[in-house]
Amino acid sequence: MDVKDLEYVNDLLEQDNELREKIKDEVAELDKKTRTMSGLLNRIHSTPAEQMPALLGQVKPVLESCRTTTAAIANVVPPTQFWRWKDMWTNSLRSAVFAATMVGYLETGTLLTLPQVRDVLGIDPQWSDRYALAAEDYLHGVISLVNELSRLAVNAVTMGNFEEPIKISTFVKDIFAGFSMLNLKNDPLRRRYDSLKYDIKKIEEVVYDVSLRKLAPSRNQAS
Amino acid sequence: MSDTTNTNLGSRDAILSVFEGFRDELDDHNDRRERLIKHSRDVTNLSKKIIFLLHRIMTDDASEGSGDGGGVGVGGGGVGDRSRALKAASKGREKLREVQGMFANVRHELTGDRFWRYQRQVSPGLQEYIEALSFAHYLETGKLIGYEEVQKSLSDDQGAPYFPLPLEDYLLGLSDLTGELMRYAISAISRRGGRTKAQDVCVFVRNCRADFEVWTPYFKDLRKKQNVTSQSLEKIEDAAYAIMVRSSEYDLSPDMLDDIVARTVSFEHGNGSGRKRGRDYEGEDGPDE
Repeated sequence: MDVKDLEYVNDLLEQDNELREKIKDEVAELDKKTRTMSGLLNRIHSTPAEQMPALLGQVKPVLESCRTTTAAIANVVPPTQFWRWKDMWTNSLRSAVFAATMVGYLETGTLLTLPQVRDVLGIDPQWSDRYALAAEDYLHGVISLVNELSRLAVNAVTMGNFEEPIKISTFVKDIFAGFSMLNLKNDPLRRRYDSLKYDIKKIEEVVYDVSLRKLAPSRNQAS
Repeated sequence: MSDTTNTNLGSRDAILSVFEGFRDELDDHNDRRERLIKHSRDVTNLSKKIIFLLHRIMTDDASEGSGDGGGVGVGGGGVGDRSRALKAASKGREKLREVQGMFANVRHELTGDRFWRYQRQVSPGLQEYIEALSFAHYLETGKLIGYEEVQKSLSDDQGAPYFPLPLEDYLLGLSDLTGELMRYAISAISRRGGRTKAQDVCVFVRNCRADFEVWTPYFKDLRKKQNVTSQSLEKIEDAAYAIMVRSSEYDLSPDMLDDIVARTVSFEHGNGSGRKRGRDYEGEDGPDE
């Protein structure tokens, strides 16, 4: 290869490496935050309903601080190269989606939409070719939410909260109905979707237990 | 966050309508992905045909301008071979324009951030194209084609690229060239003047291997390709060695030497499949498919 071409290739490589290092630093930040949040959110399984707002009060500042990291990543990624580097932060981003939707569920009992999650995480839709929340990543985050709620259904009962499993059951079934509409091909999302039925089964068993023993209010009368 | 709660997905209907949107988005993505995979396969096929065409012209005894049997003499083959190479290159380029047209046709699928999303689907065909292009370029100039020239070949008349050429595909495409050059050198050896040519190729491939070695940490596929290059290089070296031994051992005329070499080569290649060079193709291209 000509010396000129050799240098050209080496320059390109050098630039890519610098960029990769920069992104890596920012992603490490995001990673740190999502780990803190999943640590905190792990406590929902041992937090009674009346103390939940206090716990969420601890999570929300961290969630909001993701905005700066998001902006920092969006700033280093060159235009049109979003998908080129995305693999570097996909996992962290999915955990962040999980945290956001979990907080959303615990506060309002509903599912945050993709644009709402984007808002929470401070992802500007105008950055779409540098940093965006892809449908796939949102859906992965939502599946993590369902995984975690199946645990919460069990642990809520342990803490004497018999209504929560019933709420969770309706919520999760709606989400499952949504996922059933997708034409998934054989990819990780498909495999995780397949795992949802075990979560539903687990939740249903809890609902069954509390209903039979008339521990849960209201719904029994209807059926 | 609480000010957006009223638009939350509180009912099943709301959730279903949102997921309908996801379904369309995912379907769109998967369909495009499939189209690009198919496109890439077509590009690969045509590029392989071009490579065969180049080999064919270079070994076609009847082709005009051939120095064979015409007493051009040792070290030559010169004029005949040169014009043959140029003819091959120009025929190859003609066909390569068809491939370039195919890339132009999918340009609209790869605009903006989409290119990098589907880079993995585009990549196999792109590498095969670069292999064919660089082979034609080598026959024409005896050099390795530069990154910018490859990118230019994938640009419209105004010089706007159809998509950015990934460094990785460029290097991996070039790395495949060494395998073609091995075939080229081995089949050339049996021809008059082929030994010089084999020597040239040998030096060239050795340099390629040395140049590429420093980049292996950056691209994991390059490591594998380097191993293939090493094997190709060894085949050329062995052939060159065989010739050297024979020509030093016997004090024979170049014509006689050529006969001996012809026998060496037919031994090297005679035990493959019926098809000429068949064994080498299977060996190298298998994992790509």
